Amino acid sequence: MTALLVLSLLLAAASGAGVVLTREPRRQALAIAFNGLVLGLLFMSLQAPDVAYSEIAVGTAAVPLMIFGVLVSLKTDRPKK
Amino acid sequence: MKRRARLVLAAVATLALVPGLGAAVAQLPRFGAHPLPYGEAINRVAPVERHVTNMVTAVNFDYRGLDTVGEEFMLLTAVTGALVLLRGRRGESVTDSAAEAPGRPIPQRSPALRLLCRCFAPVLLLFGLYVVLHAQLTPGGGFQGGAIIGSGTLLIYLGEDYRIWRRHMRAHLFDAMEAVGALLFLGAGIAPMIAGASFLQNILPLGRTGSLISGGLILIANAGVALAVTGGFVLLLLEFLEETRAAEPEDEA
Repeated sequence: MTALLVLSLLLAAASGAGVVLTREPRRQALAIAFNGLVLGLLFMSLQAPDVAYSEIAVGTAAVPLMIFGVLVSLKTDRPKK
Repeated sequence: MKRRARLVLAAVATLALVPGLGAAVAQLPRFGAHPLPYGEAINRVAPVERHVTNMVTAVNFDYRGLDTVGEEFMLLTAVTGALVLLRGRRGESVTDSAAEAPGRPIPQRSPALRLLCRCFAPVLLLFGLYVVLHAQLTPGGGFQGGAIIGSGTLLIYLGEDYRIWRRHMRAHLFDAMEAVGALLFLGAGIAPMIAGASFLQNILPLGRTGSLISGGLILIANAGVALAVTGGFVLLLLEFLEETRAAEPEDEA
């Protein structure tokens, strides 16, 4: 196992734990985006660039955006009188 | 169940599972040293048989293309389901204004953010197109490229605002892309059957290895997936961002 792999695995563990330990939903969405980026780098260092592309596009852009969309919707959507 | 009882149950379950897990982990091959008979066979035969240099694409769209057809329709079903659920509340109507939380006006996008997004968005979309077109040559393919293009459109929202994003993202266009893409992929499977071959059999001329037009039927299947994934991704993002728009009087509660 190379130093690069050890580093990416440690970073993946740390950022994954960061997602769980972050309790505030907005920060959690950012934490999950960072975790997606780290996973993308991990896949890249494991020589799986195809998976890395998908992970970065889905994990760092689409999923956090959906979480943000839901959070905004909860804030702005009030029941009618 | 009481907290105490749950803890006891968890402890018992852990104790029961740990020996099995330990035995399985002990049997794992060493890191990076696992046998890959299928991968090695593909690496050997695919460049000769299919004239491609990206083996992942050869597996996804040719050797195990049937699995990808299943995945494609799984995606189509998931997107359709999400759209029906989200549109059920407001239909297909379009509005110009984003919702505001009370006491929190939407800030103007800063010029720096605008500049960054306007510089990066075209580059990112072009890169997505590159990834789609080079599916059979370099890492990536229809799914990856489609996902990059789909999430790249978000830079329009980030750099401009809700109104401009909504004005340029025409849902009907992406509806059509999603459907045409899925049909194209299915057609790439069925057309060889009409010609007397089997489902998804690569009967087209294969072209020269390393050329942009090589791989035969793989190109068409890849184009179908790229269209469907781009359409599906943008539709999902569009509907999720529609959740943040200002409510219209005619919206159902």
